[in-house]
Order: sequence, then C-alpha cells, then structure tokens
Amino acid sequence: MRRAAIGLGVVVVMLLGAFAPAAWTQGDPIKIGVIQPLSGPVAASGNYVRMGAEIGRDWVNARGGVLGRQVQLLIEDNKSDPKEAATAAEKLIVRDKVPVIVGAWGSSMTLAAMPKLEEYGVPMIVETSSAATITKRGNPWIFRISPPSEMEAVGLEKYMKDLGIKQADFLAVNTDWGRGAASAFGDLLKRSGASVGAVEFMDQAATDMNAQITKVKAGGADTLFLTTSVEQITLVLKQAQEQRLSRKIITTGGSSSPSQLIKQAGPAAEGTMHILFFLPWFPEAMPDGKLAKAFVDEWAKRGHPFEGLTEGFRGHDGVITAVEGLKVAGKPDPKAVRDALWSVSVMGVNGPIKFEKDGPAGKESGQSKPSIFIVQIKDGKIALPAFAVKK
Amino acid sequence: MDQLLQHLLNGLLLGSTYSLLGIGLTLVFGLMNVVNFAHGEFYTLGAYGAFAALVAASLNFFLAIPVAILAGALIGAACERLLLRPLRAASIDTTMLVMIGLWITLQNAELLAWGGVAKSVPTPFPTEPVAWGPVSVSRLRIFVFVMSALLILGAHLVLTRTRLGRAMRATFQDRETAALMGVSIERIHTVTFALGAGLAAAAGALLGPVFLLYPSMGDLAAQKAFCVVILGGLGNFVGAAVGGLLLGIAEELGAGYVSSGYRDAVGFVIIVLMLLVRPSGLFARAERVG
Amino acid sequence: MRARAATAVLLVVAASAPLWVWNPYHLHTLIMAGIFAVLALSLNLLLGYTGQLSLGHAAFFGIGAYASALLSVKLEWSPWLGMLAAVVLPGLAGWGIGRLALKLRGAYFVLLTISFAGVVSLVSVNWMDLTNGPLGIPGVPALAVALPGLPELSFRGKGAFYYLVLAAVIAAYVLCRRLVASRVGRALVALRENEALAESVGIDGTHYLVLAAMLSAMMAGAAGGLYAHYTRFVSPEVFLFTYTVTMVIMVVAGGKGTLAGPVLGAVLFTVLPEALRALASWQWQMLLYGVLLIAALFFMPRGIVPALAARFPRAPVSS
Repeated sequence: MRRAAIGLGVVVVMLLGAFAPAAWTQGDPIKIGVIQPLSGPVAASGNYVRMGAEIGRDWVNARGGVLGRQVQLLIEDNKSDPKEAATAAEKLIVRDKVPVIVGAWGSSMTLAAMPKLEEYGVPMIVETSSAATITKRGNPWIFRISPPSEMEAVGLEKYMKDLGIKQADFLAVNTDWGRGAASAFGDLLKRSGASVGAVEFMDQAATDMNAQITKVKAGGADTLFLTTSVEQITLVLKQAQEQRLSRKIITTGGSSSPSQLIKQAGPAAEGTMHILFFLPWFPEAMPDGKLAKAFVDEWAKRGHPFEGLTEGFRGHDGVITAVEGLKVAGKPDPKAVRDALWSVSVMGVNGPIKFEKDGPAGKESGQSKPSIFIVQIKDGKIALPAFAVKK
Repeated sequence: MDQLLQHLLNGLLLGSTYSLLGIGLTLVFGLMNVVNFAHGEFYTLGAYGAFAALVAASLNFFLAIPVAILAGALIGAACERLLLRPLRAASIDTTMLVMIGLWITLQNAELLAWGGVAKSVPTPFPTEPVAWGPVSVSRLRIFVFVMSALLILGAHLVLTRTRLGRAMRATFQDRETAALMGVSIERIHTVTFALGAGLAAAAGALLGPVFLLYPSMGDLAAQKAFCVVILGGLGNFVGAAVGGLLLGIAEELGAGYVSSGYRDAVGFVIIVLMLLVRPSGLFARAERVG
Repeated sequence: MRARAATAVLLVVAASAPLWVWNPYHLHTLIMAGIFAVLALSLNLLLGYTGQLSLGHAAFFGIGAYASALLSVKLEWSPWLGMLAAVVLPGLAGWGIGRLALKLRGAYFVLLTISFAGVVSLVSVNWMDLTNGPLGIPGVPALAVALPGLPELSFRGKGAFYYLVLAAVIAAYVLCRRLVASRVGRALVALRENEALAESVGIDGTHYLVLAAMLSAMMAGAAGGLYAHYTRFVSPEVFLFTYTVTMVIMVVAGGKGTLAGPVLGAVLFTVLPEALRALASWQWQMLLYGVLLIAALFFMPRGIVPALAARFPRAPVSS
C-alpha cells in the first residue's frame, strides 16, 4: 500500500512539473525554437542540423548577439512524428514564446506544424523539407531556404546532355520526399527527351532492397535515380554491387553524405553521382568561400563527423536567417519578424538567401533559391564530374 | 527466368534472417509466455557488441561474434533476475508492459551511448560477389546463411536432446511437477531467457555486418520475429525456421512481382491466410491455442 | 457515497478546466489526453473484458481519422457526417476482424490484428489516389454547429474543443459502464475467465468476440475522427506502432479490466512525456519515460487503479 502511495506521489510530482510555469527561462537571451528529428530512423540527420544550428548561434553570440541580446536555441525533438512536431511547435510558441522557429526537417513534420504557425502567427524557417506543397498551401508564415524537388530537378537540367540519359529507373523512399523527387525528376527526364523506366519504392525503415534491385536490373535502363537517407543509400549500393548492377547512379535530395558512403559502402560507391547543396571538400567553390571554409573548420574543431557537413550547414543557415529577420524587425515580435523576413538578404554557407513569393496570391510563402551542385565519387574520393568543372 | 531465380535466392537469404530472428523469441515467448518486446534490443545489443569488440578491442571478426552472444546472454540473464523474477506472479500483460519499458529504456540508452549515426561493421570477406550462373550473392551472406542454419539446428538439438532442454520443456509445461522432480525452476527461467537473448544477440552480430548499425534497428527485426514465431507455432524451432523462410520468399516475390510499396503487405496477407487455414501455426503440436 | 462525491468533484474540476488552465499548450495536452482516454477505453473493452489483446488498434483509430478527413475534404461533406463515418467504418472493420478471427485466440489473435494494421498502414502510404500517400491530408475542417437562427458555434478553438472531447470521454465511459454491467458484459467476462466453461453453458465465444471487437473499433474510430478535426492534418503516421504501444501502456498501467484505469492511464501517460519535455533535455526524455514505466509496474503491478482500490477498499464490485 505504501508502495502505491509512493508511486502516486511520483506521478503527482510529474504532473506538477508539466504544469509548472516557464518563468525560470525568462531573462535576457532571445529564444529561437528549433524542431528536428533527434531520435528515430533519421536521428543522424536531425542531429547534424542541430549541430550546425549551434555553430550559427555561437558565431552570432560571439559578434554580440542580436538586438543587444544573446541568442538561445530551444531545441525540441519531433521524434519523426508529425503529431510530435505539432506539439513541439505549440510548446515553443505558447510556453516559451519564441518569435521564430527553424524546422522541422521532414515534409510531413513541417506540414503538421504549419496550422500552429498560422493559429498563433509565428514564422518558421524551413531548412530541409522538399515537398512542393509546403510553400504552395498559402501559409504566409513559412519561409523555406531548402529547394523543393522541382527546383533540384531544374538544377540538374543543364547537365542532362552531358549525362546522356536515355532511360532511367527510380528507387525512392516511400515518403513525400521520395515520391516528390521521383515525380519531379521524372518530369525532367520527359522534358529532356528521355524515358522513365521502373519506379520502385522502399519503406523508410527497410534494410533489404534486393527485390527492387533485381527488378531494376531486369529492365534495360542506363541510369538509376536514388532518393533516400544515407543509411539506405549505403545498403542499396552494397546490395546493387552484390547483384552486379552496373549503371549510372545519381542520388538526389542532398542527404547522401558521400564521405560516409565512401567509408561504409567502399567500392560499391565508386562512380556514383550526388546532388548536394554544400561542397565541404571544396569550400572555396561555394558562393562565400571564406564563410564556407570557416564553417568546415569550426565543425572539425568541435569534433563533429565530417560526413555530417552536407546536412549540418542547413542548421547554420536557418539560424542566421532567423537572426537576420530579428535584426531587421528590430524587436522579438513574431509578426514583425515575419514582415522583416521579406526584406532579408543574408549570405549563408549554401549561398545568398533572399525570399521570393511562392503560392496563392495574398497568402504567399517565402522561397529562396539555393545553390545546387553535383559531385562524383572517383577512386574513393569526391570530385566534380568532368562536365561540371567550370572554366 | 533469371529474375525469378535471383528473387528466389534473395527470398531464401532474407527468410533465413527472419528465421534467425525468430528462434530466440520462440524460446522466450513460446516457452516462457513472456511477450518480449525487448527482443529487438537484444538483437541491437548483439550488433553493437560485435562492433565494439571489433573496433575497440580489435578482436578478430570470428571471435567478436561469440563475444557478442555472450554479452547478450549475460545482459538477458540480468534482466530476467532483476525484472522478471520479482514479477513472477504478475499477469502476462504486466510482464509485457515491463518488457515495453525495457525496450524504450534500452533503445534510448543505445541512442545516448552510440549516437544516431549509422555504423558499418568491417568484415574479412571480399566485397566481390560470387556468381552462380545468372544469380549472384556475396560471401558474407553465404557465411551468415550457414551460421544461421547451424544456430537453428543447434538450438533445436539443445532443446530436444539435452538434459537442460528437457528441464526447460518440463518447467514450462508443468512447473510444480518439474520442481518435484528436482529441477531448479528459478535457474531454468534465467537460463531460458538468457538463451533467448543470446540467440537474439547472435542474430545481431551476424546481420549487423550485412546491414548497418543504428539504435532503432531492432524495431523491424522484432516485428518480423513476432510474426515468424506465431506463424511457426509457439516454442517450435523448426516452425520458426520454416515460417521465416516462407515469409522471406513471400515478401521478395511480392516486392518483385506485385509492388515494392506493398511488399510487407504481401507478407501480412500470407500470414492471415495461414492463420485462417491453420489457426495454431504451421507446425502445431497438440497445444493450447488460446 | 464517498465514490459519488469524488466523482462529482472530478467532473466539476474537469468541466471547469478551460477556465483555470490558462496556458493553451496545457489545454492542448488535456485535449490529447481526452482523445487517448477514449482510445484506451476502447482497447480496454477487448483487453480488459474479453482478455484478447489487439495490437492493431491504431488501425481503427487511423481508419476513423482518414474516413472523416477524406469525406470532409474531398467530398466536402459536413464534418459531423464525417464523424459518423469515423464510427461506422472502423466498426465494420472491427466486425470483419472478429469474424475473421473465428477460433483464433491469444497470440494468434494478436498476430491477426498486427497483420490487419500492417496492411491498412501500407494502403494509406501507397494508395496515393485515395489517401494522398505520405503527404497526408491537410486542411481538414473544424467541427462546427450551425443551428437556424443562432450564430455558428465553432469547435475550432481549444476551449470549445475541450468540451467536445470531455463529452466524448464521458459518453465512452458511460457506454462502457453500461455494457460491462449488462448481460453482454457478464458474458465477456465469463469468456475471459474460462472460454471452454462459458461455451458449455451456451455462451457463443465468437459471437461475443465479434461484438466486442466491433464496439471497440467504433470507439477507437470516434477518437480518430476527433483527432482529425482537432489537429486538422491526417497522415499515415497515425498508424505508427508507437500509438498502439502507448494505448497498451495506458490500459495496463492504468488498470485493465477497470473503467477508471484506462482514463487515468490516458491522462498520466499523455502528461508524462510533456512533463519530461519540460524537465529533461531531449536526450534523456524517453529514457526516463522507460525507467518510470518499469518503476510504476514494480510498485503497482496490477495497475494504478487496482492499487488505489486496494488501498481504499469498499463494497466488493464484480468486475
């Protein structure tokens, strides 16, 4: 009986904790919310973004913060679950009163949080999600710095002749990201006079893709477009090697972390090409070479794995965009920040960030036009493919 | 035809992984009647254990596997002593919930300890696949297949031919009588659970190098294991083995010829059909169904 | 009489909550707790009273959510008709499961429910034309009541929706209570205790299992409909296994086979993760959750409500 009372006592303490006011976090710093998948199947990516965000925060604070105050990041885990993303957004907005949020990685998570943004009137910088509908739904509180799949496909368009694709298959993760990419690049192929072969999908948690690879092998295509996280890409490449699949492989989405592929897939990754939004191997080639190099160096200094750079920069760019919005607004008020974001023009690791209108008139979201690159793994190292080497 | 042959080979290999996952669980779930939601975590521990032995202790690949199995068995024994023994009198649902708590705790501890980045286990096998006419397969997978078959056979023999196995079967069939016959009930419980955990760890140590290591790798494994165990008949090793192969082949053919998106659905449909035709599993002995 | 007074106090506290819970985030937590309470009660019907475990209950929840969302978004039906569909369609599915189960009990019934949930989940992801696949269905309209001559009463705001959920929880509780006390309830308990004996007395096991599955599914579907019109976004993640696990935790830790147990479990295990979010950094939240769950079961192996009932005994009630 005493045990039950103790148990109940613990429970009551928990309840009190939940309903405790957030007064103790009030104070000097300006708070920026960050919602990422820090646990679950894509925990690695979410954590890389978080690490990049922390670098952004520290650099801003070293330069004196914003509006005379230091920046504090309030980091929430959306557990790769849209319901949690919405709850995290609500908590950040209502309990912690953040004027701006950076998040939420996956497109479903971002879509789930969007009604909350509109309900309370708080802007969110979208740093990774690629579904087109995010900026087309008529939510004026959304500002995206990552490219939708359609923009990615356009980025590849100039290389289509050099690539010489006649028929391509698609193997994509069965989420909005994978399906969106398959559709966008499929349209690109048709525009360029090539044809689409098989379109296969894999479950986000799947580890055995042999069936899909066998099917792809039996078709006659010369190229395979692969859209998924680096873990599944590794598995697909290894299983493709096992089945002696030989064709051009191009990964999309920017989460392929080629350095990690070299380490984990080894010779199976040889010759593969990857669409990325950051080139940590050649930071000088980025629009602001000095900033990019500084970011790479700081990342290494903190002991973060090199493989994470291709995603970590998103956190940095998201935070400095939010900070710039606060600066232009002049006060940590969500609506002022939202209005200010339209005039923001700031240089991120990926390149210049400036928002253009996207979506239905009167309720446009902001969409920036990020730089898009393509690299190739040659002799176990990252290189620019021959046709992409500029003057 | 080539495509079909490759699909069948894929299915056989995939199915063998499912069988391997099932045999540890069929002991704990089938014999001990514990709904072990933490089964996937022992699988993960085995994989990370082998990784740690290889990378941190620089052990030989073939030594790292038994080390991982031992680690899994010991942790399993500890869990049984600390969590299950005090709750021996509790209902099956309470123990199920404790296993759920263990699952959540272990997985998040792994996330904390190892981080979310997937790890790859180096193996001594060359990556060049072996070609058998129209099909090809890697040496590592052949090794894993052979080891799985040996483990399944070994476990079956232990259960049916040894004194320990007899004591185990006696304990879970009729506890009082077994105790009267001189069997140490408490020890048998611990040993059985440890054996189940060890087999799960073996699966992890063998399959980790084939795939990748990450903290939530056990979730999918556990899901398949439960299907295979119930399909094959609770407590039945041969049933789990055959059930696993059937499930693997069904999924592979479904993905190859029906739709890759609905791949798992094919497996589920097969399971439902099986249950309707043989409600007590493939290899039902005359046992209680409910 | 003590129980009556306690219940009255509880109702007053619950009914007045939007007045003194000034933080909308906390009100949001209570609303989610209410939705889960209906879910937990539905699972309890099967697990607590027939003794059969359904590990696919998230499927009924999800079917309800999708049914209501699709009808109100794609066909532009009134959300109330959508709610009706959210109850009826899962009910049909539950009836189907019950009939399919026939002689399946125990682990085999569990596997059937897992398989069913698995198939439904995959359909929601892959059948793009119907469900929009992984992108989900955004823009689900809020519930509203428009009576002639009166201004429209919308349930879009949290305060209003809280009352709707509270009404649903009370309705579900009362429904379960009457069911349990009726002949059907007694038959279910008889089947749970000893199916062979019950059948020998003329109670048809399959018939009652089908009935229980159907009612349980209908309640879960209602919870799904409420969820759809509250969050106004439905995606395949409603079929995530973690929701089923959470439901099971709520029922068993709360006290299966009781009526207050699932409700208490729902409130506690909805509030607990939020409390942990406030108290611990993200790396430790779920770890602590797992440890607390194990600890709770050690102290109260039969669930919280039975432990409390043992502490405050009253006249024996058959349950």
